[in-house]
Amino acid sequence: MHEASIALSLIGVATEALHQHGGERITALTVRIGQWSAVVPEALQAAFPAAAEGTPLQGARLSIVSVPGVGACPAHGPVELQLALGLRCPVCGLPTPTLLQGDELELDELELA
Amino acid sequence: MTSIPAPRIVTVRQNILKDNDRVAADNRRTFQSAGVRAINLVSSPGAGKTALLERTLKDLQGQLGMAVAVGDLATENDAARLRQWGVQAEQIVTGTICHLDAGMVQAVLPRFELAALDVLFLENVGNLVCPASYDLGEAARAVLISTTEGEDKPLKYPTMFNTADVVVITKMDIAEAVEFDLSLCRENIDRARPGVQVIELSSKKGAGLEAWYSFVRGLPLP
Repeated sequence: MHEASIALSLIGVATEALHQHGGERITALTVRIGQWSAVVPEALQAAFPAAAEGTPLQGARLSIVSVPGVGACPAHGPVELQLALGLRCPVCGLPTPTLLQGDELELDELELA
Repeated sequence: MTSIPAPRIVTVRQNILKDNDRVAADNRRTFQSAGVRAINLVSSPGAGKTALLERTLKDLQGQLGMAVAVGDLATENDAARLRQWGVQAEQIVTGTICHLDAGMVQAVLPRFELAALDVLFLENVGNLVCPASYDLGEAARAVLISTTEGEDKPLKYPTMFNTADVVVITKMDIAEAVEFDLSLCRENIDRARPGVQVIELSSKKGAGLEAWYSFVRGLPLP
């Protein structure tokens, strides 16, 4: 369970952006979490309020967008991966070792007040 | 500058772990300039990271300059075990944190004489999930899986295997006793990380170690 550490890093990145944009506090934020990033959205959602306490993000609404894995299949081009099949094309089973998306761990948007 | 009336939406698009990744890049540069190959060992608890390291330190003593940084939630037990082999082992006690991050590694580096080393092993906390997210600046990530854990770990923890540079199957000496299905395990590893090198060995009996030592010796600088 490293989502508590991820929540603290998230607060650090968000606070830095808040200062850059000259806001007082953050009322909402959106993050993008890849399904292949080893971060569980529910666990991050649970860890966030406690981590945000006493920071400019206290009480902020956290929205998490889950990003599916997309691999580059040599035969079929970009294909949506299934966790149970690993890095294999779900259509033909060829290896798709390159992830085109799905390992994101990204702060996307902030709502500032 | 006065602030604009609230609320307003700004697009940030930043990696949440960018601070970790920046420190990892620093570590990588430090390793490069000292000519040290750092190997990050990850596995679930009890897969045999310390046993493999002990054996490696014993067998490659005098051939390679080696040292270890060991991450654990508590205790110095593993570092003490490794020091028996006459190498420097520094414990990183992570407290409640279930993984090593780049900053923890950076903090311990001044205790080593890096220029005198060829290889620095980073023994991560036993956990197949959390360490996957944290680049430490290593040249290679070795994922260990023991025959006692069953064959489906690579599918249950795809991210960890997906980022592996080598997968080591440990405790091969008891594979038969625990009815370990090696070909199924290799198939699952290849799904999670197509084409990755897989090494089968037994730290206790010594089988298969030469392939691991070739990997350790032959690793290019990052």
